[in-house]
Amino acid sequence: MTTESDARDELIDLAADFYDQFAAGDIPEMTLPTRTKSNIEYDEESGVWTYGDRTSTRSANSVRGARKLLKAAYTIEFLANQLDDDRSSTLRELYYLSESWNNDEAQFNSQDESNDLVEDLEIVTGVTREDFHMRPEESGAKVMGPLLLREQTNRGEREIHCQLDVGQGGYQIPNNPDTIEFLDNDAEFVLCVETGGMRDRLVENGFDEEHDALVVHLGGQPARATRRLTKRFRDELDLPVVVFTDGDPWSYRIYGSVAYGSIKSAHLSKYLATPEARFIGIQPEDIVEYDLPSDPLSDSDVNALESELEDPRFQTDYWEEQIELQLDIGKKSEQQSLASRGLDFVTDTYLPERLNDMGVL
Amino acid sequence: MTSFQSTIGDEEGIAEELAEGQREISIAEFFEKNKHMLGFDSGARGLVTAVKEAVDNALDATEEAGVLPDIYIEIEEVGDYYRLVIEDNGPGITKEQLPKVFGKLLYGSRFHAREQSRGQQGIGISAAVLYSQLTSGQPAKITSRPKGQSRAQYFELIIDTDTNEPEIKADEETTWDRPHGTRIELEMEANMRARQQLHDYVKHTAVVNPHARLELREPGLDEPMKFERATDELPAETEEIRPHPHGVELGALIKMLEATESYSVSGFLQGEFTRVGKKTADNVIDNFRDVYYGRELAWSPPRAHDERDVAGAVADAVANKGEEATTAFSEGVAETVASSDRLSRSELAAIVDNVADTVADDTGKTFGETVRANAVNAAWRAITGAGDGEETDGETSDDENGRATESPLVADAYALVDDATSTRKDDAAVRAMAEALARRFGNLDGDAFRITSDDLERLVADAASFVAEQHDATFGETARENVVEAFWSRARTVPDDPPKVAAIAGSRDAAADLLEAMRTTDILAPPTDCLAPITAELVEAGLRKEYDADFYAAATRDAEVHGGDPFIVEAGIAYGGEIPAEGSVELLRFANRVPLVYQRGACATTDVIKNIGWRNYGLDQPGGSGLPNGPAVISIHVASTNVPFTSESKDALANVPAIEDEIELAVREAARELKSYLNKRRSMQQRREKQDVLGKILPEMADKVSEVTGRPRPDIDGALARIMNNVSVEREVNGETVSLVVENHSDVNEQVEITDIVSAEPTDLSEGTVVDMDGEWFVQWKPEVPSGDERELTYAVDGDPEFEVSVGGVETEKLTVNA
Repeated sequence: MTTESDARDELIDLAADFYDQFAAGDIPEMTLPTRTKSNIEYDEESGVWTYGDRTSTRSANSVRGARKLLKAAYTIEFLANQLDDDRSSTLRELYYLSESWNNDEAQFNSQDESNDLVEDLEIVTGVTREDFHMRPEESGAKVMGPLLLREQTNRGEREIHCQLDVGQGGYQIPNNPDTIEFLDNDAEFVLCVETGGMRDRLVENGFDEEHDALVVHLGGQPARATRRLTKRFRDELDLPVVVFTDGDPWSYRIYGSVAYGSIKSAHLSKYLATPEARFIGIQPEDIVEYDLPSDPLSDSDVNALESELEDPRFQTDYWEEQIELQLDIGKKSEQQSLASRGLDFVTDTYLPERLNDMGVL
Repeated sequence: MTSFQSTIGDEEGIAEELAEGQREISIAEFFEKNKHMLGFDSGARGLVTAVKEAVDNALDATEEAGVLPDIYIEIEEVGDYYRLVIEDNGPGITKEQLPKVFGKLLYGSRFHAREQSRGQQGIGISAAVLYSQLTSGQPAKITSRPKGQSRAQYFELIIDTDTNEPEIKADEETTWDRPHGTRIELEMEANMRARQQLHDYVKHTAVVNPHARLELREPGLDEPMKFERATDELPAETEEIRPHPHGVELGALIKMLEATESYSVSGFLQGEFTRVGKKTADNVIDNFRDVYYGRELAWSPPRAHDERDVAGAVADAVANKGEEATTAFSEGVAETVASSDRLSRSELAAIVDNVADTVADDTGKTFGETVRANAVNAAWRAITGAGDGEETDGETSDDENGRATESPLVADAYALVDDATSTRKDDAAVRAMAEALARRFGNLDGDAFRITSDDLERLVADAASFVAEQHDATFGETARENVVEAFWSRARTVPDDPPKVAAIAGSRDAAADLLEAMRTTDILAPPTDCLAPITAELVEAGLRKEYDADFYAAATRDAEVHGGDPFIVEAGIAYGGEIPAEGSVELLRFANRVPLVYQRGACATTDVIKNIGWRNYGLDQPGGSGLPNGPAVISIHVASTNVPFTSESKDALANVPAIEDEIELAVREAARELKSYLNKRRSMQQRREKQDVLGKILPEMADKVSEVTGRPRPDIDGALARIMNNVSVEREVNGETVSLVVENHSDVNEQVEITDIVSAEPTDLSEGTVVDMDGEWFVQWKPEVPSGDERELTYAVDGDPEFEVSVGGVETEKLTVNA
């Protein structure tokens, strides 16, 4: 990706664009891909979903647009200075920091606004926010498995084995996983797990040791760092990746953002998405086959499923079949529902069976 | 009113007893007891009404004399009383008339005139005199100086309330500084509680009479209230018009009939009414004949092979004229009769006369009155059967089908009834109806079948109920109406001369018939030169004068007619500025240029305003109806030869639909202008706000990007002008060459007016003109710049001159000048 000075130059270039527009008597504007579901396209080459050709323009033509551009100018200055000083800050800190700017109009009204603006700047400059030294408030999730790595920390290099050197909680993924170097591993595959409870179950049952699995905790919608690291496991260690979530439409979206990239960060799909990742379960099929305890689908579940049917990322035979089956049975089940067959059922029976089916084991 | 009627009969003495208590009530005495009817019900109101009556008179008098009114009003406290002085610069009043005008109720030049004027009844000012006299015991003091006279006349007068005659207490010559005019001084018991109404009245008078100068002094004012004129234009002189036939009432008509010098109705109509010429008079008279005499029903003459033998009947009726003449006559009549479609008896008589004259010319035999009458009777009998066996007609004989010779009218009636009623009617019922009608027609007086429209209706209704009873067949209302219409439209107006004027005047019924005939005749609307609208322009000028607003609009409608009286409605709206924004709008009501101060709630104008949806026009209206709120003044003026008021005190317009409609249209017309003004103002406001915000944000953004990039601050005026869809004017000076560039970033073409004031002489102008003004040169240039385009003006100038540019033709909000 980019270096720090590259990132700084890109930001200054953007400010220079505004400057030139002013000087030419034109209305300053910046053009971005339209960030909606209808404007993401499948990129054949990389196998991920990225933004299409449609664009929107943020123009100073309106009061709203002018305010956005003013904030952009202030944010550019802030980021450039941060890079100069080799400091970093969180998205939330940026939001509060705007309060200190000597201009009411430039201050952010909400954190969503500042988050969006940073994403806008990422897209326009082609620099990731990690390279702007911006990090999210929540850190990345945890990894447990037979892997030895070296992390570049503020306090120097650390060599860590993700089974032997860590506690029950596992290895904490840093905000910028590109500071990690993989040294050695015995892993057979990567298992991304949605909920903390299931991850703890797998660790307690010694699933990572027994099957040489790298268990990655997603913790709901995975942070960028988690997705980036997962992609590096796949690309650099050549490990198969499977995703283990609840059996409901919201969890399929978690799988979707791991495998295909999210709509909001489709500009980073090539950097974050792991198109080879496969869904292990809970599949709607499993609810039927294992007769799992279930809840009925709510209206919003049904809407979400139907909207997924129209989502270009889910338009594959496998997903259409699964989603239609779920709409048909009208049920959803959590990962923990497997416990109805006993605490060891998931590690002894369900996962081995599914992994065999998928040809991973 | 109480009616006193002596009872006839035994109780002797009662009539006499009552008669002792009866005496003539003088009109002054009557009003003494009914002050409220004239607006003198309280001391507060009495003062306002007295001012109003005196000022109205003064305005009427000055305008009539073609003088711009200059009116002075003064109210003073004098002991327990108030003294009211009104002076005008009118023509003055002659010595002979003066006591009567001010001292006699119901004396005036206006009452009988159909012309727009403020006063009408001749009650107002003398009622004020009476009021002052009754409350203070003081006489009215009047000074009048007619134009051209060196001295003025001074009177003191009171009204004798018994006789309604003025009594002159003093009559002497005096001096007066006004060259001409009238001054009246009244003392009365009053108070100033109605000060606000008084001020409103004077102020509103000034609004609606922009040609008048008014001055008011009263004890509560530190400074006199002065209202200057806004125009030197007098209102158009009004023409007096005769009454319109649609606008008179029966009593008035009888009076006119009695008073006229015309002998014939036609002459009367043409002479006494407006919009009546020979043709219209004839139409009225035809209608009058129909109402007064009724029409003659017309019947189908016999066709070929019909057994009704007109020729034979006529021939039989003629004796001693020789065979040739008799045959020529009888066949001539029969032939003409057969050729007409339908025939009334009068038409038959005309035919007989014609043929008789022709035959007489051809044969030398004269046909006298008797012969002709006999022939007409015989032929009519042949055609209609009229006069046959009258003894068997009537309701007594019900064996209608049993009669050997059926009246020929039945067949005719059958055809008409069958035609006029729905096809579902049973044939027997139609026939029964035809027979019942024919029998009733036969019973009409005379044999000409004369009947009025009303009687025909009754006759048909009677026949219908007979048929319903006897044959169980109903003829509903519509069917009956159709039948009446079928007969009436085929009946003929009689040729009889209408009665003479004197005869009609003597008969209330005949006069009522004439009135009905006048009302049913289509007559052109009355002329409108009897009206003097203020005109939209001056309505606006009046508002502009008294209200400091941001926006004014006015509308004058075309004249319309209500009850024979023409009227014109005008409306004006003032908005914004100094007009208070709180509460509901101010509504100014005027009738014939007189402000209406009291009874706003009872006035038709108020009702109309309340029913308009003002939200559509950009005014706030809580609940969507009622008086709108906001900083606006709405004025409505109704001018008419006869303004319909709800009462004698002339405070409120009556709810006359024709006038209400016009009021609404006039107000809406003005309100539409208000709406587009408010819309424009709103969009300009938004533009200003946008400009304000962007004017702050963009320079800051420019500063920031120049800081970040380390370059000097960019010039952002071009971007700003473009964003604001503005017109920008930019100057570039390049050595001796000066250029002004106008760029139009708006979406409409702009006509820009540029004046560039240069301190040295410009030469080689590419466009525009230059004028030398005392060492300064005015370069004037008026380019039309299409949307999205630009225009350039260049000129050469020596040295280092100063420039000052001013740009017009474009709203300031849309303009960015950098020159």
